Amino acid sequence: MFSLKLGLKNLTRQKRRNILIIFVIAFAFFGYLVMDSLMNGMEEMSFDNIKNYDTGNIQVVNPEYWEDREDLPLENLIYLNQDIVESIKKIEGVLGVSPELRFKANLNNGIDETAVIGLGISFDQYNEVFTTQNYIVEGSMFAPGELKAVIGVSLAELMDLKVDDYITLLVRTKDDTFNTIDVEIAGLVRAPNPMINNGIVFVPLDVAQQALNIGNGVSLLALKTVSGEEERISKSLTDNFKNKDLNLKPYSWKESASSVIALSAAKKGGIGTVLLVVLLIGMLGIINNVILSALERTEEIGMMKALGMREWEIVFVFMIEATGIGILGGLAGCLLGYIGVSWLVKYGFSIGYISGGDASGYGIPILDRIYGIWNYPAFTFLFILGIIIAVLSSILPSYWAAKKDPVKAIYHR
Amino acid sequence: MALLELKKVKKVYRQGKIEVPALRGIDLTVEQGEFTTIFGPSGSGKTTLLNMIGCLDTPTEGEIKLNGNKVSKLSQKQLAMVRRYNIGFIFQAYNLIPVLTAYENVEFAIRLIDHSKELQIKEKVLKILEEVGLKGLENRRPNELSGGEQQRVAVARALVKEPKIVLADEPTANLDSKTAADVVKIMIKMNKELGTTFIFSTHDPAVMKYANRYINLKDGMISTDERRG
Ligand SMILES: Nc1ncnc2c1ncn2[C@@H]1O[C@H](COP(=O)(O)OP(=O)(O)O)[C@@H](O)[C@H]1O
Ligand SMILES: [Mg+2]
Repeated sequence: MFSLKLGLKNLTRQKRRNILIIFVIAFAFFGYLVMDSLMNGMEEMSFDNIKNYDTGNIQVVNPEYWEDREDLPLENLIYLNQDIVESIKKIEGVLGVSPELRFKANLNNGIDETAVIGLGISFDQYNEVFTTQNYIVEGSMFAPGELKAVIGVSLAELMDLKVDDYITLLVRTKDDTFNTIDVEIAGLVRAPNPMINNGIVFVPLDVAQQALNIGNGVSLLALKTVSGEEERISKSLTDNFKNKDLNLKPYSWKESASSVIALSAAKKGGIGTVLLVVLLIGMLGIINNVILSALERTEEIGMMKALGMREWEIVFVFMIEATGIGILGGLAGCLLGYIGVSWLVKYGFSIGYISGGDASGYGIPILDRIYGIWNYPAFTFLFILGIIIAVLSSILPSYWAAKKDPVKAIYHR
Repeated sequence: MALLELKKVKKVYRQGKIEVPALRGIDLTVEQGEFTTIFGPSGSGKTTLLNMIGCLDTPTEGEIKLNGNKVSKLSQKQLAMVRRYNIGFIFQAYNLIPVLTAYENVEFAIRLIDHSKELQIKEKVLKILEEVGLKGLENRRPNELSGGEQQRVAVARALVKEPKIVLADEPTANLDSKTAADVVKIMIKMNKELGTTFIFSTHDPAVMKYANRYINLKDGMISTDERRG
């Protein structure tokens, strides 16, 4: 088709301007793709961090406890008999069950005091669910019954503590009397989840239970499951608890961290905004380009009209040109994006620059480095959307050009 | 029946509150195959008259008939269709498309009305380019052609669709006198070979002498109209 050929040949006019707008579109695409990759990477890492260091895949909790869980109450606890844990472990897909006792405490190093969260754990079971032990950077974990604790490196730094130092945890027992737990620091942990590094003191579960005077009560059972099977396992758990007449409920990791939902929403909002900006840039670029071309080719448009070309035939020529720019810009952008995302997937992006190495202040449970992840549909989606936008945004200015009065166009009056 | 008939054609341009009468009552009949020149000083209304005949614009008053059909009251869309099938234009500034070769510039015009196979189109385009003396230069772009050659491409573009009438508004104004004469001679040759009606405007007496009808325009009125040869 001749108009198609003419439209494409017109791409070679005003090379510099066309290349400029192609680059602008390419960089906008690049920005979007890199940002999309990082945001998704951040989300995935945050989710992993929540699952691997905080909640496990599923938490089994008394529903009343769940309501007040932020306050770390010592009521509505789960009183363990071996049978509960064993029967949960029998469900297919459950890889580990870790009882946890969470409590408020003040950490005293003999000089200063700071509020922390105490976490009573049984080391062997904890290891089945969480990977924190891999991040012990000094010393070691503790055995049951030992009067020892593990704390995060940031907390240690803040309180000027080292391995083998002694600390005192001030706690309130279930009966609202004060008690203390005197422990020696067995190890320091530097986990990818900043929450652990900043404010958690791990102590043996039995030590904590004794000090808090709660018998064999625990706050919750954290479960590690085969990833993606959370829903089915939750159902089995619910049935199991109903049969045994236990007032317990499974909560998936998604429900346990309200920040997760906020993060996902923020991600979608962020990506949406960037997408809008990218498309707006492309749109303005294309509109601007069509208008400038039409102004430069006024006499040519006049000639076309004199030859009896219909308006839509002239519009078509301009649209082909604009679409060509959209396609070239989109291709270049996807290529740049491919390179950028490859780099991010391999080397990551240090967020140390924006947060001093700890993004927890931004509500992001990630430390140090975010790695990008591949989101191939984003490439296709952006490319196709880019072309559609190029076509749509060229229609109006093309019509404006094609509507010119032939006499005025020919004589440029 | 005359090919072209103008009756009491008037054109008034409005510039704000001022009215500029460009044509003040033109009566004119042109027969098939005539080679007519319209001459007159700048501002006498030559361009305006050609635009009316070429269906690029409509008169303020009066009637224009092309091939017996009244065109003076048609809509822009209808005028475009009349131009597409019946009229060829040659412009002072050639108005070729710079990214297309000589061949493609001519092909562009024929493609609008002729949907034949590639081969037949090619035959037509090459033939007309040869007729205007551009054999061998088909693949050159306008910037690789001289002014005279460019205007010959424009002549070929106007003629390729075999229109009833070709209109040329000062087609030689940008050319030196020898080249101008060459271009006009080609137009005469095509007029003789194809019987195409030509109307062209000029204020160059050297170019005028080739025509067989002379219309002198003064202040939007025809002052003399002579046939010769
Ligand atoms: N679009 C226009 N608006 C206002 N006046 C015009 C316009 N076009 C032509 N004129 C006026 O009409 C008259 C005839 O112009 P034109 O047909 O261009 O003459 P020529 O081609 O013989 O030089 C001139 O006075 C010119 O200024
Ligand atoms: Mg003029």
